[in-house]
Amino acid sequence: MLRKPLAFLKKDFLTEISYRFSFVLQFISIFFSVVMFYFVAQLLGESPTLQQKLGDYGGDASQSYFAFVLIGIAFSNYLSVGLTSFSSSIRAEQMIGTLEAMLVTPTRLSNIVVSSSLWSFAFTSIQVAVYLLIGGIFFGVDFGNASPLPAITALILTVVAFSSLGIISASFIMIFKRGDPIAWVIATSSTLLGGVYYPITILPEWLQTLSYIFPITYALRAIRMSLLKGAGFYDVGGDLLALVIFSVIMLPISLFVFRYAVARAKRDGSLAYY
Amino acid sequence: MADVVLETHNLTKEFIKRRGFSSPLHPFDKTIFTAVKNISITVERGEIFGLLGPNGAGKTTLTKMLCTLILPSGGSASVCGYDLAKQQGNVKASIALISSEERSFYWRLTGRQNLEFFAALHGLAKDEARERIDEALDQVDMTAAAGRTFKEYSTGMKQRIGLARGLLADPDIFFMDEPTKGLDPVATRKLHDFIINRMAAEGKTVFLATHHLAEAEQVCNRVGIMSNGEMVASGVTGELTGDSSLAEYFHALISDTEAEE
Repeated sequence: MLRKPLAFLKKDFLTEISYRFSFVLQFISIFFSVVMFYFVAQLLGESPTLQQKLGDYGGDASQSYFAFVLIGIAFSNYLSVGLTSFSSSIRAEQMIGTLEAMLVTPTRLSNIVVSSSLWSFAFTSIQVAVYLLIGGIFFGVDFGNASPLPAITALILTVVAFSSLGIISASFIMIFKRGDPIAWVIATSSTLLGGVYYPITILPEWLQTLSYIFPITYALRAIRMSLLKGAGFYDVGGDLLALVIFSVIMLPISLFVFRYAVARAKRDGSLAYY
Repeated sequence: MADVVLETHNLTKEFIKRRGFSSPLHPFDKTIFTAVKNISITVERGEIFGLLGPNGAGKTTLTKMLCTLILPSGGSASVCGYDLAKQQGNVKASIALISSEERSFYWRLTGRQNLEFFAALHGLAKDEARERIDEALDQVDMTAAAGRTFKEYSTGMKQRIGLARGLLADPDIFFMDEPTKGLDPVATRKLHDFIINRMAAEGKTVFLATHHLAEAEQVCNRVGIMSNGEMVASGVTGELTGDSSLAEYFHALISDTEAEE
């Protein structure tokens, strides 16, 4: 059962490390990103507004903001990978010219699409671990109270929720080849409103209300509370439930849209075009 | 009774194109282009069937339909006894598509790594895959070069890896779309020998789309000639053309068809 997904993982891993310089550069850029936000946190830590808005996370304000933003930028990577990896992997295979060769094998297209994005999720997980390790080892972020299980549950639900949006995005690529509006609108709005770089309490009230339609708001809050404050399932239950509801509604819709897009592309004869 | 492995009845493909932004006043007006019109053919097990026709005749569209890559608009077809529209998974498990498209591989992986990946997609277990890959590489004389990256191969070697990929799942029918495009005469001859002496000799069916008439004459038992989406002639290679060569027959036929249109 896992043979096909593992074959995709191996193929993508071998391809990725064949570009050695790019592979190393991605990890170096994480270090610079963390350092930059560390100094931004030092600057903003003096702000009384920030101290008030970060009340939930407690402690020294600059350190709180650094931990807050570290988790925000690390885990928002799942948003971008969930939103774009399905469509970008399909488009990449179309452009390389390998999609047609895959489609004449008995492997289902849905399996190809999901398996093609596995490496992106695996690589993102490694990057997130590196973010947290750098933050913890070099910049003193305290994960001593972390509750890993609620955080992992939130993470899995986050991946499912974001992926359902990503599958809709892949459906657009399947038909229109370029110009997918879904990923752009959701990625931009989520980054703006979802509490990646600042707590949503800093937003005007109407925007705070709007932020609750995006799964990232619940995901980041649950993950931050679990990792930084040791919150248990009971404490983050509301956020987890919101992610479950979102996934239960969006996943079937995304699969329906995807099936339609595949049938349409097969009718048009454009499945492997780019 | 002959064992028919490929059968089509009035298979048709129409592509619908909307005018869109090119006609802002009538963006939903559509034009219909019929790429394949009412094709009815049968191919028996062990046959090498050549599909001939000038560029744009509909050969690739027909081949892709039979490989499940494009949905037909009308008619029906069965491949190895499976309904093309309803049993696509079974159809795909019974066929291999070999094209001249060398970009259908991962250039930064080795030949063997490429084959391992596609073997997994064919659902072969690890040990079985290893065995089949060794066999396929041996059959196409690529065992020694299997550890080199695909980008290092010559055109002929890339084509041989394509052939090896086709052999992996031991399919009943090989669909070949212009398989000798870009090959030098020596490599072309080797491929022809392989089709005749290995594939057909083992009872495999080959559906060969080409516009190289000499290739069809040399390799195929039967040919079908397409023009403007229609099958304008078909028959046993030697009998169809009478006293003429296939090239003479083909050119006369296509000229007549174009004149009628």
